[in-house]
Amino acid sequence: MASKEELIEKLKEGVVEYEEDTVNEASQQWLDDGHEALEGIMEGLAAGMEIVGDLYDKQEYFVPEVLMCADALYGGLDILRPHVPEKEGGPKAQVVIGSIQGDVHDIGKNLVKMMFDVAGWDVHDLGRDVPLENFVSEQLKTDSEVVAMSAMMTTTMLGMKKVIKMIKDKNPDVAIMLGGAPVTKDVANLFGADGYAESAGNAVSEGIKMIGRLREYQKKD
Amino acid sequence: MAELTPKERVLRLLRKEPIDTMPFFSGMGMVVMPGIEKSGYNFPTVHTDAERMAWSAIWSARLMNFDCVVIPYDMTMESEAMGNTISLYADSEDILYPTIPNKIWSTLDEVEIPDKIWEKGRLPILADAIKIIKENAPELAIGCWQLGPFTQAGQVLELDLMLKGIFKQKEKVENILDKISDMIIDIGKWLQASGCDYITLREPGVAADLLSPKTFKNFIQPRLTRILAGWESPKLLHICGKTEPLLAMMSECGADGLTVDIKCDVKKGREILGPDVLFMGNIDTYTMTCDEKTPKDKAIEHIKGMIDGGIDAVMPGCDLWPAIIEENMKACVDTTHEYGKNPSPAVGRL
Repeated sequence: MASKEELIEKLKEGVVEYEEDTVNEASQQWLDDGHEALEGIMEGLAAGMEIVGDLYDKQEYFVPEVLMCADALYGGLDILRPHVPEKEGGPKAQVVIGSIQGDVHDIGKNLVKMMFDVAGWDVHDLGRDVPLENFVSEQLKTDSEVVAMSAMMTTTMLGMKKVIKMIKDKNPDVAIMLGGAPVTKDVANLFGADGYAESAGNAVSEGIKMIGRLREYQKKD
Repeated sequence: MAELTPKERVLRLLRKEPIDTMPFFSGMGMVVMPGIEKSGYNFPTVHTDAERMAWSAIWSARLMNFDCVVIPYDMTMESEAMGNTISLYADSEDILYPTIPNKIWSTLDEVEIPDKIWEKGRLPILADAIKIIKENAPELAIGCWQLGPFTQAGQVLELDLMLKGIFKQKEKVENILDKISDMIIDIGKWLQASGCDYITLREPGVAADLLSPKTFKNFIQPRLTRILAGWESPKLLHICGKTEPLLAMMSECGADGLTVDIKCDVKKGREILGPDVLFMGNIDTYTMTCDEKTPKDKAIEHIKGMIDGGIDAVMPGCDLWPAIIEENMKACVDTTHEYGKNPSPAVGRL
């Protein structure tokens, strides 16, 4: 029987080497051995994804590899997540996410979504080509803390400016994340957004860093 | 020194022959709202009608003093001709380019290119629009473009299938890239036969922030080379995003000139390419020409910096966003024409 440490390594390596079967088997074994699902997610899957982020930053991995690692991670997440007990007291954090109208690309959006899925948020995924007002109505309906939008094309990103204004007018406390290839930090500042991710790649890099911070935060609990 | 017409200026530059001053032109979208409004149409209707496309292009160039027109405006014509349905966003208040919201093919096995695709969908409009432009604005250079095979594949299939397929279904990905490359060669030849003056192969989906230079070398470069060899000159190659790691390989693909966007440091780019390669770019098409907070002087400095950095012609790094700030746009064009009177690295002056 594999030790706990060995299973953690398998989860990590399986994500890094994009071996879905390895991740699925190790995840099931982890549960069968009676370990806590959340620990497997954080110390195994998320830790593996952090290594992927480093490899991306070092330009050893590119977007195709990251997408395959994400598939492997989701395989494990599907097995482990249902066994994480609901937190006592208070609802889960929520995010509304989507690619903006006129934009049918969703790779960046899906990578950022992964970050929220790992962290166990309730994710309201509006998909792609999303009419501007749908971001606003979904935020109001769900009272989500974060709205994350992406636009891969220069020609669609101006729509984000409108959404930010519409949301901030109604609810100034909502944090807004922007991502997408043409969105630079300057543009994000200009639009009044609270966070940005420069590209599909940066989205994953930034997203993974957020996972890292979350892991540290949980250790302190 | 006799002043050249815009078309002469562009065509001489593309042959690296001496010119009077630097042209302001592009391989990508150059249609702007003042031109669309002057021609009396609204944005969603200029993609589907040859007259509307031609006149919105002509007026955009005339009002802004561009040296060229570029058609088409959107990236979905080929995908539509393969059977996909486009969304024109006719009811939107915003300027939105046509897209393919849902694709008919969901696996790498289904891609089938129809015979004589240039006779299908909206593609025939392009030949008609070229004819109208030639008759009514013979002074302007007419540019057309084709997406590169990888980016075009993303218009007919979900891009993540292609990206993951590079590792998991290599043969199928290569097969699709080859089929689409054949189509691109054919459409490009047809555009050239229809009278376009220069053609740009634009492959924005392969920059070094998405694919590795190794993948570029193995999967993309051979196809770009084959496509460019299938076309007559003048022909350009454009890649968006992080291109510095790719420039040397781009210059081996057989284009007459290379164009890049704002993520490329043109000074470094020129060092990599040397003085003889025709190298163009890279206006920041949001900050400099659309952001109302950017003062005109900053746009002028941006253009001068590019010229001082060693480019041979100022080009927008992407499609111009149609909702331009007119004052800034005109300042960019005027500065190019005035500040570009001295020889550039690859092109002398009359």
